[in-house]
Order: sequence, then structure tokens, then C-alpha cells
Amino acid sequence: MKIGNVDVKVSIVAIAVFVIFSIFLFFASVFSPDVRSQLIWLIPGLFMLLVIPIALNYMSRSQYADIAPVYEAQAKTLRIKLINESMVGKPVRVEGVVERVHFQILNRPQYIVADRSGAISVKMFTSPDEDVKVNDIVEVIGQVIRRYIVTGDPVINCVSIRKIKNS
Amino acid sequence: MLDFHIPALGCVLASFILAYLAWIRPKKDIVALSTPIYSFIFFIVPTDFSTGVLLQVLYAVSLTLLLVRLKYRFGRPGNAALLGKELGGSLKTYVEETRDALSGTSHEVAHNAALVFVRFAEGNYEDAAQSAKTALFGEKAGDQVSPLMRAFGIIREHSTLLDTSQPRPLTYLTFSEKDSPLLAKPRLPVHDPETEFYAALDNALLLVFSAAWNASEPDRPHLLACQAFAQKLFT
Repeated sequence: MKIGNVDVKVSIVAIAVFVIFSIFLFFASVFSPDVRSQLIWLIPGLFMLLVIPIALNYMSRSQYADIAPVYEAQAKTLRIKLINESMVGKPVRVEGVVERVHFQILNRPQYIVADRSGAISVKMFTSPDEDVKVNDIVEVIGQVIRRYIVTGDPVINCVSIRKIKNS
Repeated sequence: MLDFHIPALGCVLASFILAYLAWIRPKKDIVALSTPIYSFIFFIVPTDFSTGVLLQVLYAVSLTLLLVRLKYRFGRPGNAALLGKELGGSLKTYVEETRDALSGTSHEVAHNAALVFVRFAEGNYEDAAQSAKTALFGEKAGDQVSPLMRAFGIIREHSTLLDTSQPRPLTYLTFSEKDSPLLAKPRLPVHDPETEFYAALDNALLLVFSAAWNASEPDRPHLLACQAFAQKLFT
């Protein structure tokens, strides 16, 4: 779904929640007159289950679209091995092959990207522009952060992930 | 009543032990780290539900599974506790092995070596290149220090390339054959430019780390802060 220039993607979990509650509300309103009398606010409430994730996704994706060029200009191209704890906060660019993909259905994908020098976890807090799969060769632009904000190994907070070559 | 509470207390203590074991690993397991919170919720916070034997057994089984997971997925309880306090592993061995060879390094050069290493680890490649240049031109290269000077040259070249996101050039600086005894990573018998280029950088960084460690004691805390990066260079 496109809103303005932003391609909004709703997670399958948000859709599933909406569908389950729709079914639940349908049967509840059929069998209960009390529920029927409350439909005037239950139906808008139900749609909010879909509208809120869409709005959040729109906001995060438009923010990412704004900051991506800034990172692109500042990020230095590095081998994964050179990324370490002392670089927390630095914008970086790495190229590598996607070894694993997690949490894609939540619109919060995490990738393990590897090059010849090593592998690193790449976290994204919104849906990516492209559908990135295992074995795709990608260019990642983002900021080095710690896995658990104040502790943990360095990971990349991904601002942009682009396929250079398909699997 | 007493019998009933002792296993619950055991679950709480076991959770803290598991969290400690997760904490001392370089790679942190957030699930194991958060088990004390769950033990607090299940066994200490008063609830309407009884913390019966079944809950305790299931909790103990869960902790056991998490312990197995911790052991196999999050590695050994490495030097996490020691990092920041002293050198460890291959780095310590290498620094000790090269101590005599680098004994002629002046304090000024060693301080520059520390600056170069720390700036490079931080990703401040422009500063690293500048510090390497200062070290190169600030010291007369004698026989004893020539591998170190070559290391500064290699780091300067790599830092300049990294700062401008340039790829590997066709010709690049490397160590000479006679420098081999001082290098952490042996030279490859097969000529692979890509591997040779990056191995030269790893060797150069480790050599300047050793020079800085051995000849500039005041800089050691800064070097210790970058120890994890130095350890990574051995891989």
C-alpha cells in the first residue's frame, strides 16, 4: 500500500489480529444483543487494530527514508571484521551475503550478514524496501549499536538494506 | 511448609547463577539474563496461585534447557570479566613474544602507536592515518624499528583507503620476508592478493598494539578498552 511516496507494509501479525478480532466480534454481535449495542465504538476500535500498525509503519518508513541519504553520505565501507565495540554510534556500510533472516513477519527483520572476514547481526526496526532472502548479496547501511543498548556485541542498526545480487 | 519453600528458593538462586553465567560471556543471552526477573515474579511476588511442586519442576527444567542453550549457543565464559583489566589469550602471548624485539621503541613512537590503534579501532580513519604519518616522519627508521615503521605505513595506507571508502589498490604495502618472526599471522605460501592485503593490516595493527603496550604504559587502559578488537584480528 502506498501513502504518498512511502510504501507501507502491514505485518502479517497485525492482519491476523484484525481478522481474529473481526471473527470474534461478528459472532459476539450475532449472539449477544449487548455487544450489538456497543458496535458503534467496537467497529472503529477494531479498525484501529489495523490503522495503528499502518500509521506506525508509515511514520517509521518515512523517517528512515529521510535519514537514509544522510547515512549513505557519511557511512564508510568496511569489512565486517573491523566493526567493534569502540565504533558504537558510527555510520557504516558493509557488503555481504545474507546467511539468516529472523522476525520478518513482525516487520522487524534481523539478518545475519557475512563477508569473507566475518559475520554480523543486522537489526532493522521497520520493514525493508526490498524483500531480502537468505543467500542474497546485500549492501547494508546503518549505525553500529550494542545488541542490548548498553551491553552485548556490536550489531548494525540498519537504515537501508539493498540487494546487490539475488540468490 | 519449609520443604515447600526450599526448592522455590533453589529456583530463585539457580536463576541468579544462570544470569551470572550469561553475564560473564562475551556474547550475552538476554533470555538467561532475565531469568531472575521471572523467578521473582513466580516465587517471590505473592499471588493467588500456589507455587506448587509442578511449577518448581517445570521452572527447573526450563533453567536446565536455558543452561544447555547458553553453553552451546553463547560460547564459553570467555574473558568478559577480564576484558578491560588485563590482556588475555593469543594477544597476551603475542605481546609477550614480541616484547624483546620492540624494546628499542621510544616512548613517543609507542604513544603514537597507541593513538593509531585506538583511532583505527574507533573508526576514526582520518585521525589514524594522521597519527601514523606523525609516527612515520617523527622517528628515524633504524634496523630495530623498521617493521614497526612498515606497520605504520600499512595502517596509514589502509586508513586512507577506508576513510574514502576505496577498494584494494593493485599495488599495496606489505611486510618484508625478514619481518615474519614479528608478525602475528604467518605469510601465506600461496599468493592471494586479497588475503595478503588484509593480513598485512591485521599484522600491522597487532604490531603497533604490542609496541604501544610494551613501551607506553600510560596508554594501556586505552589499549585494554580496545582489546576485543585486537583479539578479533587473530581470526
